[in-house]
Amino acid sequence: MNTNNNLYTVIYTTIIVVIVAAVLAFVSQSLKDRQEANEKADTISQMLTAAGFGTKAEFQAMGNAAVLETYGEQIAEAFTVDATGAKVADLDLAGKEVYSPSRLKAQNYNVKGGKSVTLPVFKFKNGITVVPVYGAGLWGPIWGYIAFEADGCTIRGAYFDHESETAGLGAKIKDDPDFQAEFIGEKAAFGESPVFEIVKGGAPKVDGKSVQDNKIDAITGATMTSQGLDAAINAWLGAYAAYFEAQAVSESSVETQTAEEE
Amino acid sequence: MKLKDTILDPIFKSNPITVLVLGICSSLAVTVTLKGALVMALSVMAVCGISSLVLSMLRNTIPGRVRIIVQLVVVAMMVILVDQILKSFEATYPIDKQLSVYISLIITNCIVMGRIEAFALGNKPIPSMLDGIANGAGYGMILLIVAFFRELLGSGTLFGLQVMPAGYVTNNLVILPPFALILLGCIVWAQRSIQKDLQEK
Repeated sequence: MNTNNNLYTVIYTTIIVVIVAAVLAFVSQSLKDRQEANEKADTISQMLTAAGFGTKAEFQAMGNAAVLETYGEQIAEAFTVDATGAKVADLDLAGKEVYSPSRLKAQNYNVKGGKSVTLPVFKFKNGITVVPVYGAGLWGPIWGYIAFEADGCTIRGAYFDHESETAGLGAKIKDDPDFQAEFIGEKAAFGESPVFEIVKGGAPKVDGKSVQDNKIDAITGATMTSQGLDAAINAWLGAYAAYFEAQAVSESSVETQTAEEE
Repeated sequence: MKLKDTILDPIFKSNPITVLVLGICSSLAVTVTLKGALVMALSVMAVCGISSLVLSMLRNTIPGRVRIIVQLVVVAMMVILVDQILKSFEATYPIDKQLSVYISLIITNCIVMGRIEAFALGNKPIPSMLDGIANGAGYGMILLIVAFFRELLGSGTLFGLQVMPAGYVTNNLVILPPFALILLGCIVWAQRSIQKDLQEK
């Protein structure tokens, strides 16, 4: 048989490609549920890490079922808000509905394009509120979760993840606990611009201690990733600003009421 | 070539990393932990073995002019399958995340395409499959040796378990890729002093 015939070559390659495509489509469909379950447990463990319920390594050692259980015990309410801070809808708590990176990506277009957004808010029983951020790093998407104290502006913790940042440099946003620890205790300036800054040198220091403001030190050697994270945090926290400001107002009005009663 | 040689040669005498100097990039990148190295080694063995088997069965039907493209399609399919399977299990999901792009980059590993071109297209399916697996194993063995030293000295652990006494200060150089290259150089040196016929005059 002449295998160098043009027609043969075209038919042969077509058949090979169709077979390969069919195999891949079949495998992708049949493994989808398992992969989504893994991704969901991973997302939840990232939120729990940001909120300070443990470290990522601890959650990894626990296994998926235990992570979901911890989340179920700690979560108080989860809902979505729009740009004005008004509640849009509840998330399915029993089903432990979360926003995976692909869902964050979809919202990222709206956040950046100034279109109407529906952003998730996760409130835990101890008063901590966790919100996601999403943006572009140097090589691919970066995202993460920032946990706020009950006052709605002090950061309790943060965890970031990335798809393909440079190992040892940009990948530090995920791998370097010291970088993530820098966020703890800082205050996001909701209603101002910029809300939060990742800058060279970080916050001005007084007596060797960093001032608790809205600035932290960028990662050496990872300028583009740091800038990307800065932009992601500003865009997303900017979109959440109305929600957190409304929270702060309602809380202070409660305080004045109790003060008057006294 | 005897079947025994097909299997044993790639492990030592013609090891893909130390003798053919293929697959260097990934062996520097994935050898920080033993777990990562083991998963990578098994993945390459699977991709290499099965692609060699499939292409060896097709070898008389593949049109010569699009030979490389057909190989590429089959290898790419295998790599995606391995990646999808690793993502599906709770135990391997974090390792797949840690290895990130390097699993997908198995397709660019010269060992895979090299063995298909050099062996699978001219031999029967079963010897081809064994050749693929053996080359993957040769690659994996070096990976595990390098990862053993890097995890032990760099993190003080083996397979994630603490083995160094508390108070051991981890060595950061060992974690970085340059040390893997130095270690690889030492392994090549050791092999060449044992196997004299590799030394250039």
